[in-house]
Amino acid sequence: MVELRWSERGRRKACNPSSPLLPTGSLVSSFAAALALTLAAPAAFAQPRPAPLAASDAIVPPRLVSEPTVPYPVGASGEASVVLNVTVNADGTVRAATAAETNEPFSSAAARAAMGWRYDPATRGGRAVAARIRVEIIFRPAPAPETVPETTSPSAPAAAPERAPAPTRTEEVLVRGAHEEPSLTATLTRAEVRQIPGAFGDPFRAIEIMPGVTPIISGLPFFYIRGAPPGDVGYYLDGIRVPYLFHVGVGPSVVHPAIVDRVDLYPGGYPARFGRFSGGIVSGETVAPADTIHGEYNVRLVDAGAYTETPFDGGRGTVLLGGRYSYTGLLFSLLSPSTSLAYWDYQGRATYDLTPRDRVGVFAFGAYDFLGQKLPDGTTQTLFGTQFHRVDARYDHSLGEAGTMRTAVTLGEDLTDAGDGQSVRDRLVGVRTEITERLSPVALLRAGFDAQSDSYDVLLNSGTLGPTEASYASYFPSRTDLAAGMRGDVVLTVMRGLEVTPGARLDYFGSQGATALAIDPRLSARAEITDRWRLLWAMGLAHQPPAFAIPVPGFQPGGLRGGLQMSAQESMGVGWDLGAATTATATVFHNGFFNMSDALGVNQSQPSGCLPGSFPTDTLAGDPGGAAGSHTCGQRFAPGTLGPDRSGGGGQGAESAGTQSTIQALEARTNGNAYGFELFIKRKLTERLGGFLSYTLSRSTRDYQGQQFVAAFDRTHVLNVAAAYDLGRNWRAGARITFYTGLPKAPDPTDASTRLAPFFRLDLRLEKRWPLKGKAWISFVAEWMNATLSKEQIGTSCTLQGCQATTVGPITIPSIGVEGGF
Amino acid sequence: MVAAVACGGGGGASSTPACDPQCTDGVALLALRDAIKLVYNVTLQGQPVGAQDKTTACPQGGAAHVHGTATSNADQGTTTVMLTYDLSQCHYSQVDSDPSHAFDVTLTGSITEQGIIAVQPSSTTSLVLQSSSMTIAGQVYSPGIDYKETACAVLLAQDGNNLSGTLCGRPAGVTL
Repeated sequence: MVELRWSERGRRKACNPSSPLLPTGSLVSSFAAALALTLAAPAAFAQPRPAPLAASDAIVPPRLVSEPTVPYPVGASGEASVVLNVTVNADGTVRAATAAETNEPFSSAAARAAMGWRYDPATRGGRAVAARIRVEIIFRPAPAPETVPETTSPSAPAAAPERAPAPTRTEEVLVRGAHEEPSLTATLTRAEVRQIPGAFGDPFRAIEIMPGVTPIISGLPFFYIRGAPPGDVGYYLDGIRVPYLFHVGVGPSVVHPAIVDRVDLYPGGYPARFGRFSGGIVSGETVAPADTIHGEYNVRLVDAGAYTETPFDGGRGTVLLGGRYSYTGLLFSLLSPSTSLAYWDYQGRATYDLTPRDRVGVFAFGAYDFLGQKLPDGTTQTLFGTQFHRVDARYDHSLGEAGTMRTAVTLGEDLTDAGDGQSVRDRLVGVRTEITERLSPVALLRAGFDAQSDSYDVLLNSGTLGPTEASYASYFPSRTDLAAGMRGDVVLTVMRGLEVTPGARLDYFGSQGATALAIDPRLSARAEITDRWRLLWAMGLAHQPPAFAIPVPGFQPGGLRGGLQMSAQESMGVGWDLGAATTATATVFHNGFFNMSDALGVNQSQPSGCLPGSFPTDTLAGDPGGAAGSHTCGQRFAPGTLGPDRSGGGGQGAESAGTQSTIQALEARTNGNAYGFELFIKRKLTERLGGFLSYTLSRSTRDYQGQQFVAAFDRTHVLNVAAAYDLGRNWRAGARITFYTGLPKAPDPTDASTRLAPFFRLDLRLEKRWPLKGKAWISFVAEWMNATLSKEQIGTSCTLQGCQATTVGPITIPSIGVEGGF
Repeated sequence: MVAAVACGGGGGASSTPACDPQCTDGVALLALRDAIKLVYNVTLQGQPVGAQDKTTACPQGGAAHVHGTATSNADQGTTTVMLTYDLSQCHYSQVDSDPSHAFDVTLTGSITEQGIIAVQPSSTTSLVLQSSSMTIAGQVYSPGIDYKETACAVLLAQDGNNLSGTLCGRPAGVTL
């Protein structure tokens, strides 16, 4: 299969077929842990409307019109990638093609092949012009025919005689655009994501290896990004905001990985098209419509997924269908009979070219998750149930050589069922329009407008809520929120090798009569020092309405209570090509946070329970204690204060100080800082021996009520090291090590250490691929996240007998499955 | 004293027993009492004793203002209140597997609360709630039955978890 794709930002992450997921008994507890995090620590997700993505960033680029076949070099072995600098003449022929780095015999093979390609030439001002682009070609050896014994030397020519001349086995051709966003971090191609152990081929899961990304708990897809909590991180798919990217707990992504073309991580200082989040941005883009029928599928022990796409009407239109369905019943009946888990998702897309310049399309997708507890009477109690749905109708218009324009309308629904008849629903309607237009040879304008209405219906069983829970519930009233904004930036080529992008966005927020206006200036620059060295710089302000720590559909505080959050983000980095398919980036960053509603970070680390010598005062007769969360320790009943009204028994009674501190955390606003150093070194994972090293040294602090302290989820060192090796005969193995510093430790009179124990885990991956007829293939994949069964310390729990670390896990996912494509 | 409202029961072909007017009054009283309880717990619980004056938003819209005085006895686990609740379009709903505990109502009016709120099981709640004009509108029971009482006089006594008295001149009661 040969794919030709244009990368607008020149940075790529890729996706691949999903990999198996096998929950284990220990995983059940991880789901519970995730649930506890989600429910107890009032999960939230920011609501900002999606800032449309630009359709193109550079001049109208050359478009490859010939088949980009590249014969696999005779005598070569293993996978390899070659980046070509291709000069395309104004008549579409290739004037020159040279490899950026020597990697024989692949470099020469790629260059020779490229000389025969034909393009629709680049245009500027309506005239065809010569252009120089970079093309990445990934070689993968032709799989041996089925009749070839397994003992065939892996280095032997791959093609069977009847398949001569040597078949093209180019798995992927990436065409990189000229403009690279300075705020983007590391980029991985789709083929590379497949090789990352522990990511299960999921492009979104690959986020956790990025520098600047700090997990809350190993294996859970909730991250701090440069000190910003998960609730301040925006998730987008095709410019459409989605509440979350993963199925419940440690589940797979909510869209089939194969339809995700790339995922971009913007940890800070991002382009003006992103807004209404004060943390990082994770933006996924789906694959472009294809002109041939194709598809992929996977079957795992707990779910199955597939997608296919086919053109119609001579290629003017395309239809894509995909989805995933879990069948966890059998597995959980063995591992955890009292647990019920289910999830599914779907994707559908149709496009049609009305004219060569006009395309209409609709993209619908959604996901469902359910976690329940089976009761003795045979019923199932809902612990956590969520779903979201989106329908996005688009109209894309090409402005010819000048640029592109997109107008879209989005309808959606987010729903969270918390059980016991309680639910939160958000029905949204949004519109957006965006334009990318080259104003001059040195200026590219990117601008847009969008507005969204969110109608929240909150149904609570208020009679069973405790006072602080009821107060918490008051944060989520039924109402309609409005957000609207406009943005624009200009990519200026100041001089050869120097690109500066000033921009700004203006956002309006309205909720329950409260309004707020935010102005976010942005500025970034990129300077090519040499062919191998470049400097990247980005800064900007980012505002966001109040949010909570973890994204949960429908949970968005109303009334803009406490005002907008704001962050000031800045980073400067250097990138360089080390040769031998190896690149590196080093970045220093600083984020200043102001008026944050970071419920997880508001408090210093505190023990659960009372330290020896004291006892809880916030519970009544019996003092059950032992409950999660901090207690007020000391006197049993505080004189001079009013007790709760417990009429009706249990309802709205007193709760633990932990619960009360939760609501206090919601009310609290903090300032903070995060600063650090990030290093990312990568040798392409598609090389015979590939790998990466991702390291973050950082410190995140909070200021609250006159005190400054290390944020509760600060981790000084975060390290990911991975390697993948081609064993021959289409076997490929990989391993990954994850290490990070322990969380700040609560004061403990019996232990002077200031950090919990560090965490270490090992992930493994093994794949065997078999070719089938034509482009078809099938592979067996075994993968195991946390093969060391490492447990993680997340807090300190104290009793009268003393204090000890609270651990979770092991959160581990062994996985076996079959993947295939055609 | 009126016994606790018993909605449903009996036989019949319908799987959802009907809720007669006495039943709907009982559910309305439950809604009113739970709304007051919620307002108290949200605003006053944990506050210093003495004069009180707090305002809060109701869960589904509207507002509630509570003012007056309250003191507590930490040893006995009791709180003595003399409070007035001013409810303004206070929207409050509850979903419950017991249909007689389900409601979705909007409350408007002032109601006083005097007596003792028990904090510990060893004590007993003893309260008098009184309003000269209370409007209760919305739906009670499940499935919902339309309910509306405008400018209605309310006089209730709570003994433990038993609430009884008159609603719009009609005997009414409910077990909390």
